[in-house]
Parts: sequence; structure tokens; C-alpha cells
Amino acid sequence: MDKIKRPLRVALYAMNERSIRTMAMYLQGPCKGAAVVVDEASADIDIFDGDSHNAKQLLAEHAAKPLSRPIIVLSLQSIKLDNVVLVKKPVKAEDMLGALAEVKARLEQQARQARESQQSNNDPIANDAAAEQPVLKKYARNTDAQKGNKHQTAMQLNEAAFNAYIGVVPGVDVNDPTQFAKAAYNPKDYFQDYIQFAINTSHEKGENLQLHTGWRQVVLFPQSRKIWLDADDKLLRAFANVKVDRLTGQKMQLSPFKANLSALNDEPEKFHNLDAFLWKVACWTSKGRYPDAINLEHPVYLKNWPNFTRLLITPHAMRIAALLVQEPKTVEEIIKALNIKPQYVFVFISAAYALGLVGQARREADELVQAPVIVPSKKKGLLGRIISKLRGSNA
Amino acid sequence: MSQYKIIFTGPVGAGKTTAINSISDVPPIKTDAAASDMTKTRKAATTVAMDYGIMNLAGGEKIHLYGTPGQERFDFMWDILINGGIGLVLLLDNTRADPFQDMKFFLEAFDKFIGETGVAIGVTQMDVSMTPTIDDYHLQLKTLGLKPPVFAVDARVRNDVSVLVQSLLFSLDPGAEEGL
Repeated sequence: MDKIKRPLRVALYAMNERSIRTMAMYLQGPCKGAAVVVDEASADIDIFDGDSHNAKQLLAEHAAKPLSRPIIVLSLQSIKLDNVVLVKKPVKAEDMLGALAEVKARLEQQARQARESQQSNNDPIANDAAAEQPVLKKYARNTDAQKGNKHQTAMQLNEAAFNAYIGVVPGVDVNDPTQFAKAAYNPKDYFQDYIQFAINTSHEKGENLQLHTGWRQVVLFPQSRKIWLDADDKLLRAFANVKVDRLTGQKMQLSPFKANLSALNDEPEKFHNLDAFLWKVACWTSKGRYPDAINLEHPVYLKNWPNFTRLLITPHAMRIAALLVQEPKTVEEIIKALNIKPQYVFVFISAAYALGLVGQARREADELVQAPVIVPSKKKGLLGRIISKLRGSNA
Repeated sequence: MSQYKIIFTGPVGAGKTTAINSISDVPPIKTDAAASDMTKTRKAATTVAMDYGIMNLAGGEKIHLYGTPGQERFDFMWDILINGGIGLVLLLDNTRADPFQDMKFFLEAFDKFIGETGVAIGVTQMDVSMTPTIDDYHLQLKTLGLKPPVFAVDARVRNDVSVLVQSLLFSLDPGAEEGL
């Protein structure tokens, strides 16, 4: 929400298509929309890749043109040219923002001088609202498939934060083996199952669908693997744990989404990645319980590692994944091997099961094979210290 | 005091330099130069020797972060680099013409090292090119008999690189715990 309201319009030179796309996203993301990439005719300033093989020639040609707009050069070298602001590579957002601020100040000064001398307002920045919309190049984000593509990096929960963020089920101690039978839940009783069904249906049909929940608007975009929910996480967390059949189950239905996308695009923060969304909903539905389709006596296998950089990482989730991709194991074996509370295993299995990553080994061979004892690495202590270091600065 | 390495590898432009920068405690020592060969079509400057960063652990230990040169003509250095390495981080650029071919090339090139340690794969540029998907990578890896972590990664985002490296470490020993 701290986006600069009047972005500078920049033209890019001496860059290939990939660099241009990257630059456009860099300005939009890390540079918080301080500038947008436009065509040469619409630009306020010009940015060159000074290390390109033809940069010198292009800069010389540019200098010869009757343009007086500022130039930013990105380079590994310490280039000194008149009217040029240098940003050294690797380009850091703060350096780029500083350079943009500098050229913006120059433009404003030029505009003031022009106003004084011509008695007319030709400030390219101040007139932004009234000016024609800049012609965005084809790589500018303008489709629903790209909307909301700015990913959210993983949130790593520690044990202390687990109960507060995930929640607990009243009246059941999911960590007490004598209460394991009561620690199961049926996803069909919850919003989770409706979401799973809607996702599967939208994929099968290849069609944008709207899930009528009787609660908040939900729209699914299978092509871009996005979901749009008209609610924040706080509301979603509360709704995920309400038994749907008691309240709104009768009202839930799917229909093609035919409304105008522009209304949704105005609230990009409500777009979520489908997998990350379903994973999160499953965690909040589970609250440390396990899906009743999982038999605790049978080994569980993991098809592959979940894409953890885009998912909520519950306590010990990566350790459980690392263990399960090696060999199928029963829940009890996982708990003992890693020496962790059952709730952390249950919540991981719930989320991975929702995404179809977890299954149960039914083959006789799997059940006959004794689960191997983990042989600790000789570097276990070192690995732990590196993990501490990596997590310690994560905040 | 023992010194350990984590090796970052992958094709030109996959984000090795940036990834090391993201988790290094010191500004990485870079050896970039203006590209003058075929790599210039993908990146104006490329790493011609190696990138180097450091993670300082409590107690004075240092983890050295090495990035291999992106250009294959420097592959003679890889054997030297991996000596004493804890594990491999392979970064792949999803906008490249054939990222699976890149993946196979690097997995084969570091086959022995991976067998002795482990590998975690980060796929960059997925916001530019959504395909191949992470599931597609897993399918390819299955044909190679491998099940390493494969994550979408923005090499500029410290947490992405951190989670990727953590997954490598847990792959080496799921029993590893924070602080132990």
C-alpha cells in the first residue's frame, strides 16, 4: 500500500527481452512501483544496461538525440558520463530507488523552469493524472493469469507459535496416544472439502468457477492456479473450522465465473496460489488432528517434497518430509524417529494429504519391511547450527 | 577449526550470485565480467571464476558459500570447489529453453558429489514462466530415481534461499534440529 502514486515512466535500452521483463517486475516489486516500463515515446527517463555489448554505441547515439531527459545506467563499471546517474550492479532496490528519486527531482526542476519560462505547465510528473495512460509494453502484467503472481514467501512457524496460529480442538488432547481415535477429522465436514472439490472441478473443466459458499465470494482460476477470496486470513481461519453442514452446507454450489475481472483485480491481495491456499485451509481445519482416511497403523508415504517456499511451514514439517521421502513410515515411527509431538505430524499429514502428496502404503512389502533406524549424520550438530543461523535471521 | 562449504550451481542467469548474496553475512566476493561469448544472450555479465560468501555461525564457525561459474567452459573448477562440500544447491532458470536438460546436465555433472551428500533444487523465474511446473520437475526426477526437494525460488528473497538450504540440510539428516 506504500506504492508511489505517480510512477516514473521509463524506457529500457541495451537489454534483451528477458532482461526487460525482469526489469519491469523489479520496478513493480522490490522498487514498489516507483517506475513503470513504457515505450520510448512515452518515457520520462531512460535506463541502459551499461554492460551490454552495444551499450556504448547506444549511449552515444542517445546523447546525440535532442532529448533532455535523464539517463540511468546500470553497470558493473564505474562509468562517468554527463547527465547520467550510475547504479552499480548487482542492482539493489535502495540504490535504484535513490537513482529514481534523483532523476525525478531533476525532472521536477526542469518542469519548474519550463513553467517559469513558458507560463505553461508541462511537468511530466505532476501532470501524470491528466496525462494519457502510458503505453505499456506487452510484458506488462495485465491478465488475470498474472494478477497476484507476486508470491508470498513461506512463513515458518515454530512450536511456540503453533497453537496460537493453528489453534487447538477443545476437549481433545491430540498428543495423548490414548485419545488418537478422537484426534481424527473428516474433511468432508468442513470448507476444506468444498474447496478441494471446486479446485478439482475447475481443473477438469479448465474453466474459471465461482464457489457460492453462503459466506464470502470465492473464485477459482485454474489456468493461473489462483484463487480469489473476499476475506482475510483471520476470517478464513475461523471459517475453516466451522462444520459446514450445520451452517451453510446446503448453499454451497459451483457456477461458471462470468463477471468482470476488473473488480477482483482491484484487490490483488485477495488472490492466493491454489496450493498454498488449500494447504493453509487444511492446517486450520486440522488444528493438529489427522484426516480420518489415514490409518495410523499403516505406513504413510510422501510422493515428493511439498513446495515449501510457497507454503505455511508448520513445526518440523521439513524434517517430516525429509524422513518420509526416504521410506514410508507409520505416524508412530515418525513421532519416535524425530522425537516430536503428534500434533506436528498430524497437521503435516493433513495438509500434504489435501494436496494429494500423501498416501498410505498398501503393498504387503511395505508393511513387512522394518522401518530403518535413522543413522545420525556425523555433521548433525553442524547442520543444526546452520539451520539455527538460517532461521535466526528470518524474521 | 573445521571449515565447511555449501556449493551453489546451475546455468548462466539462474541466480547463483544473487542467492549467495541473500544469505551471506558479508558482501559476496564476485568475479563477474562482461560476457563476451554465447552467454551474453542471457546475461550481460557473468561469473567467470566463482562467487563466494560466508555464513558466520555462533562460536566462530564459518560456512563458505561457493557459486560455480555459470559457463561450462569453467567446469574444470567444479571438482576443486566441491571438495569438502556439505551439499549442493542447484538453481534452474524456468525461462531457459530446456530447463530439464539443464537439470540433467548438472545432476550428472555432480552425480558423485550428490550421491555422497545431497541436493536441493530451486527453480527461479517461475513468475515469468509458470511452466514447467514444480510437479513437472518431480516427474522428470522420478525417471532419474531421485526425490530431492524442488522449490520455486526467488533468489533475491532471503527466506526462499534459506528454506531451500534448510531442506538440503534436513535431507542429509532429518534428525537434525535447530541449535543442536
